[in-house]
Amino acid sequence: ASASLPRGVGPEFVKFYENKSTFTCIGNPSITLKTSQINDNSCDCPDGSDEPGTAACAHLDPLSPQQPLPGSVTGTTNTTAALRGFWCANDGHIGSYLPFMYVNDGVCDYDLCCDGSDEAAHVGGVKCENKCAAIGKEYRRVEEERRQSKERSAKRRRTLVKEARELRRRVEAKIVSLNKEIQDLEVKKEELQKKYEEVERSEKNKVVKSVGKGGKLGVLLGVAKTRVSELRNTLDKVLDQRDDLQDRVDQLEELLSKLKEEFNPNFNDEGVKAAVKGWEDYAASNTGEKKSDLADSDIMEVLKEDGETSGINWAEFESDDSSDADIVYNLEAYLPSFARDWVHEKLNLLRSWAIENGILADNPTTGTESRLVTAARDAVTSATNDLASKTSAVEEEKRDLEKDYGPDDIFRALKGKCISRDVAEYEYELCWFDRTTQKSKKGHGNTSMGSFVRIDKEQADEEERADGKGLGKGQRMVLRYENGQGCWNGPNRRTDVWLACAETDELWRVTESEKCVYKMEVGTPAACEDVNEPRVNTKDEL
Amino acid sequence: VKEHDFKKCHQSGFCSRNRAFADHALAASSWQSPYTILPESGAFKDGQYQATILKTINDQGETVRLPITISFLESGTGRVTVDEEKRQKGEIELRHNSKARKERYNEAEKWVIVGGLGLDKKAKVESQDKTQLTVKYGPSSNFEAIIKFSPFSIDFKRDGISQIKFNDQGLLNIEHWRPKIEKAPEPEPEKKEGEETTEGEQKEEEKKEEPQGVDESTLWEETFGGNTDSKPRGPESIGLDISFVGFEHVFGIPSHASSLSLKQTRGGEGNYEEPYRLYNADVFEYILDSPMTLYGAIPFMQAHRKGSSVGVFWLNAAETWVDVVKAKDSKNPLALGLGSKTTTRTHWMSESGLLDVFVFLGPTPKDVVTKYAELTGTTTMPQEFALGYHQCRWNYVSDEDVKDVDRKMDKFKMPYDVIWLDIEYTDEKKYFTWDQHSFKDPIGMGEQLANHGRQLVTIIDPHIKNVDNYPVVAELKSKELAVKNKEGSIFEGWCWPGSSHWIDAFNPKAREWWASLFKYTSFKGTRENTWIWNDMNEPSVFNGPEVTMPKDNLHDGNWEHRDVHNLNGMTFNNATFHALKSRKPGELRRPFVLTRAFFAGSQRIGAMWTGDNMAEWGHLKASFPMVLSQGISGYPFSGADVGGFFGNPDKDLLTRWYQAGIFYPFFRGHAHIDARRREPYLMGEPYNTIIAAALRLRYSLLPSWYTAFHQAHVDGTPIIKPMFYTHPSEEGGLAIDDQFFVGNTGLLAKPVTEQDKESVDIWIPDNEVYYDYFTYNIIPTSKGKSVTIDAPMDKIPLLMQGGHIFARRDIPRRSSTLMKWDDYTLVVSVSKDGKHAEGDLYVDDGDSYDFEKGQYINRKFVFDGSAKTIVSIDAEGRETKSIKEGEWLKKMHGVSVDKIIVVGAPASLAGKKEVSVESGGKSWSASVEYNAAASSGRAAFAVIKKVAAPVGADFKINFA
Repeated sequence: ASASLPRGVGPEFVKFYENKSTFTCIGNPSITLKTSQINDNSCDCPDGSDEPGTAACAHLDPLSPQQPLPGSVTGTTNTTAALRGFWCANDGHIGSYLPFMYVNDGVCDYDLCCDGSDEAAHVGGVKCENKCAAIGKEYRRVEEERRQSKERSAKRRRTLVKEARELRRRVEAKIVSLNKEIQDLEVKKEELQKKYEEVERSEKNKVVKSVGKGGKLGVLLGVAKTRVSELRNTLDKVLDQRDDLQDRVDQLEELLSKLKEEFNPNFNDEGVKAAVKGWEDYAASNTGEKKSDLADSDIMEVLKEDGETSGINWAEFESDDSSDADIVYNLEAYLPSFARDWVHEKLNLLRSWAIENGILADNPTTGTESRLVTAARDAVTSATNDLASKTSAVEEEKRDLEKDYGPDDIFRALKGKCISRDVAEYEYELCWFDRTTQKSKKGHGNTSMGSFVRIDKEQADEEERADGKGLGKGQRMVLRYENGQGCWNGPNRRTDVWLACAETDELWRVTESEKCVYKMEVGTPAACEDVNEPRVNTKDEL
Repeated sequence: VKEHDFKKCHQSGFCSRNRAFADHALAASSWQSPYTILPESGAFKDGQYQATILKTINDQGETVRLPITISFLESGTGRVTVDEEKRQKGEIELRHNSKARKERYNEAEKWVIVGGLGLDKKAKVESQDKTQLTVKYGPSSNFEAIIKFSPFSIDFKRDGISQIKFNDQGLLNIEHWRPKIEKAPEPEPEKKEGEETTEGEQKEEEKKEEPQGVDESTLWEETFGGNTDSKPRGPESIGLDISFVGFEHVFGIPSHASSLSLKQTRGGEGNYEEPYRLYNADVFEYILDSPMTLYGAIPFMQAHRKGSSVGVFWLNAAETWVDVVKAKDSKNPLALGLGSKTTTRTHWMSESGLLDVFVFLGPTPKDVVTKYAELTGTTTMPQEFALGYHQCRWNYVSDEDVKDVDRKMDKFKMPYDVIWLDIEYTDEKKYFTWDQHSFKDPIGMGEQLANHGRQLVTIIDPHIKNVDNYPVVAELKSKELAVKNKEGSIFEGWCWPGSSHWIDAFNPKAREWWASLFKYTSFKGTRENTWIWNDMNEPSVFNGPEVTMPKDNLHDGNWEHRDVHNLNGMTFNNATFHALKSRKPGELRRPFVLTRAFFAGSQRIGAMWTGDNMAEWGHLKASFPMVLSQGISGYPFSGADVGGFFGNPDKDLLTRWYQAGIFYPFFRGHAHIDARRREPYLMGEPYNTIIAAALRLRYSLLPSWYTAFHQAHVDGTPIIKPMFYTHPSEEGGLAIDDQFFVGNTGLLAKPVTEQDKESVDIWIPDNEVYYDYFTYNIIPTSKGKSVTIDAPMDKIPLLMQGGHIFARRDIPRRSSTLMKWDDYTLVVSVSKDGKHAEGDLYVDDGDSYDFEKGQYINRKFVFDGSAKTIVSIDAEGRETKSIKEGEWLKKMHGVSVDKIIVVGAPASLAGKKEVSVESGGKSWSASVEYNAAASSGRAAFAVIKKVAAPVGADFKINFA
């Protein structure tokens, strides 16, 4: 039957063309044409069905400029055609539809129409011989090769899955063991806390006895007072210096940002460009910079002269002669809270200096007890810290378990591993689930192209490559790496890492199709579909 | 733009001197121009008057001699040329041991003028006395030039009415040669005494030589932006006032980001403070609504009023400024009842060279434009693909990238013809090389493009990287083909590659060498579908004054750069054009070359674009006055970067820009390297569909665009036409520059160029009927009024004026090449009276020069509502059968008119099922579908199907 069918009719439309005397437009049964009007290169049906084998109705399409077309569903050419396209039977290969606009345009579209039937009108003298035998054969050869490669890749993937499982098991085991340690630590900590409280209680009333007014403690007080005031003066000067430098930095930054704004990028002065680039990197690295913990207001507080309401009330020490040594030890208690840690450290230094120089009693009867307290407190602190770090370790491991490592947890097996590729003057590196980096071979340092954020899925649409090292067509995993180093007038660098199935991990290509947006095309068994997965699973379960 | 990188008039010595001269002359009640023709020196012969002008240069009555030639050309064009005897004879001394030529530059004509210089032997002296001479000339001897001797002036009249006057205001100023008199250095304290004293003193001093105060500070040396011009020839500027009598509108002198109708430049509300400047420069991110100079210059101005169009062409390639002032002219309120009219007075100033002006007396816009084209040439007949869509970006990063974009355009069913490579394809900006890492297989890339009839354009700029192991620069140096500095050694400056030298395309040997570089065997990686883009040819020199070359640089023949600056881009572009013609022996194809810099005459070479615009609505809007201005100035093959070069257009802007860009004669999308990707298919829906439909509209109308290009090629007619051009008698439309007609199609377009705008107001120039292009609705219009057209995002405001027939190809294809053999659709928009429509179609092979040997189809279609016929005849009345058909014409037998859509179909078509078709001695019938007018407002229309007459053959359709 097909021999007498009009050209270009696809299998599912054959029934409309079997009548030999007349033809009825598929979507407009009221319009009946002579069969000679089929494929006469003139569009008669408002749904284009009279021209299955030419391009004459190719303009019936929402993408074409609209014209009135009474009879079509919309009343315009902005309508849906009845046919799917021009059918190429492609005997010896696989039949397929070709867009009507490709028919009789003088080009042999062998990728879709290996039998050459799309150019039956021979416009401009074009002749498309039937190449289906050769194309079909080559297609089958490549398919077979791909199939085999896929199998090998799938095998490799199974190994990865096993590795990933093992790694997961290890994490789980680690959590168990950490949890045990935490329990133990909690018990220990409680004991130490009790011990500390006891020691503290017993030592509470033992203090260094006064050695008299104007004694060593008096000397210490004098020295300390001078020292503190020296420190204060120095801090004051350092602050002035800092402000000075900050002013200069501000001035320089202003100069540079003005340069950046006003320089003419068309004046290709390498020196200026390098300076601007350097400035931009500097500026980018400073964005979100943490402000110093030490607020200026706090410093000002410290800088205030000591007196009754601020700092150390020296007079109180000088007048109180009963418990001055005690006071030295508890000096911190008199300090405003923000300064306590800082002073604590300084005082400890001062204290040991005092002991070493024989100003403070090194080993008075009370000293041992005092150090006992310290030791007990330190033990508690240490246990607390230990507990906190273990707890956070557990949290981290738990988070890791919950993290999306792709299907079958497979990227767990690749995490931390890196692959790279040289492109011109750079080496590009992909570290799985970590970061992407551009490394200059000319010694300009490394540039972060982003840190791993998440796995997405996107449609790839690329031509198959002869060597198979390409994304091809279909849904692919895309690993997003974001927030890399800041860019020229723009956002931070980022990398989309597109994955395709391959036998080994390989970074095929890196492209920067627009500034600072990178695309890596990567082959990895981790991206393969396991054709034999069900069987493997059963085997594994056994 | 970094405005301070470019001069204002007061920073340009000669501009400032000439403006000061004008101020002085116009302020003085008794100003008399010091230029006088010696009557006894004059002689009129064979359509040419030659004489000597004496310029009085001081109170002692000393004079200098200025030979003047006034030529009357066969075309009716007048030409006035003034030289300077001393310089002509070389009787001057140059400073700084300069090697520069002593003459005023006299070779602009050699580069610019290609014809039309034949003298009008019928021009004759009508009358002559001691004070003046009157010459009658012109096609019907209705032109007159009244040459007054003292002071010298010329009054050009048509039919006895003054149209253009030279030196009417006495601003003629030719800075004669003088030796520099080294004054004793002024004592320091004097300078400190304040400006008044200094100025006063200067004036006193200067009076010895010049009749008015001249600012001497810039006569011998000028510094701007750290660059000093040594000016070895001293001051040599020329200035002249040209008055357009009774004209309120003047147009032209592109390129400026300004309105089509030029604004006044001497201040006042809504006016500019600066003169229009013509000094080709790399003005990136240019500002809008400004008389500032841009990348190219065409010193051709036309004036238009109801009933008259005239023009002048100022043939000078040096830096030029033009002041425009309009004044109510109430001199003669009783004269012929004309009442008070506005006269536009212009003041032209050039830094050096001859004073050489052509005068066109119209009377129609077309007369002015075609006479100008006769002199400077017409638009090159382009490669047909060049009318398609061009996809460009700085940069497609690799051959893979190019191939991917190529595939994606197909995937999204968007037609395009050309993909472009900006500078990054080269190996470190060395032209004629490829970046080996990114472009591993340029031939393979070119082949993929060729598979669908597509082309590649690669950029080649005039700066040649100064680096070791680069044979191109080695040859440039060893053969001494580069531009030289003022000392006469090779000029070195900075551009994209860093340190560079510039080819001197004024040198014939350099052009010969340049051609050798483009052979397929030399520029490896190029093939038959590779073409060239010339950028940076102003020339752009990053570290030069105003981003260009020092004016005291030397070109071939030791002409100073100042003399030839505005020609520079064209000579380079021209060298590339000829290079492309000689890539392979025996291959004779039309080159495609795009240029950024241009001058009068560049239209003979290729396309231009308006340079580095920005992704802003304002730039979209500004592009139409600019492109229209190019069109009426003889260089219509122009366009702006779709999307805007700098920045990122939002989706609305980009979509509107595509809808507008389809009306640029040169239609290219382009983007800066820092811009995000914006290939049209990346916008997502509904934008992708809207853009695809816009692209397809352009493509379906390519036959009509090509026909319009052919018309431009024949006689210089603009391709898109402003209202003043098509309807010169409608004063309400003279200044409109945001709507236009496309060729002779009667298609009236007004693109949406404003954000969130969902309608446009189209001004209607006549009483014809107007149909909506997409719905065939009759638009309720009235002459001289605006009509509001709905224009939601997916709608392009496009009307069909009644009375036209235009051709389309309706099958969407991947590229214009793949449409080559498709049948045609004719659209007939029937006139209001239902009686008439006509139109043209020109077709050739779109590639070779065979059209020069008759290998083309040129049809005229006529719809006659009375006779009830539609006929196709040869537009030139050729006996087509007698043409020996080449291969292409033979193949065209297979290409037919498939369909004729008659919009506004007459009742005589109603009820018809078929009509008869006669062609080639046979007759047959074609079916008709008639659709009566609809209540929606849609006009009646009929579709005649399967006409099946070969497009190249005469046919007659009878629907009686």
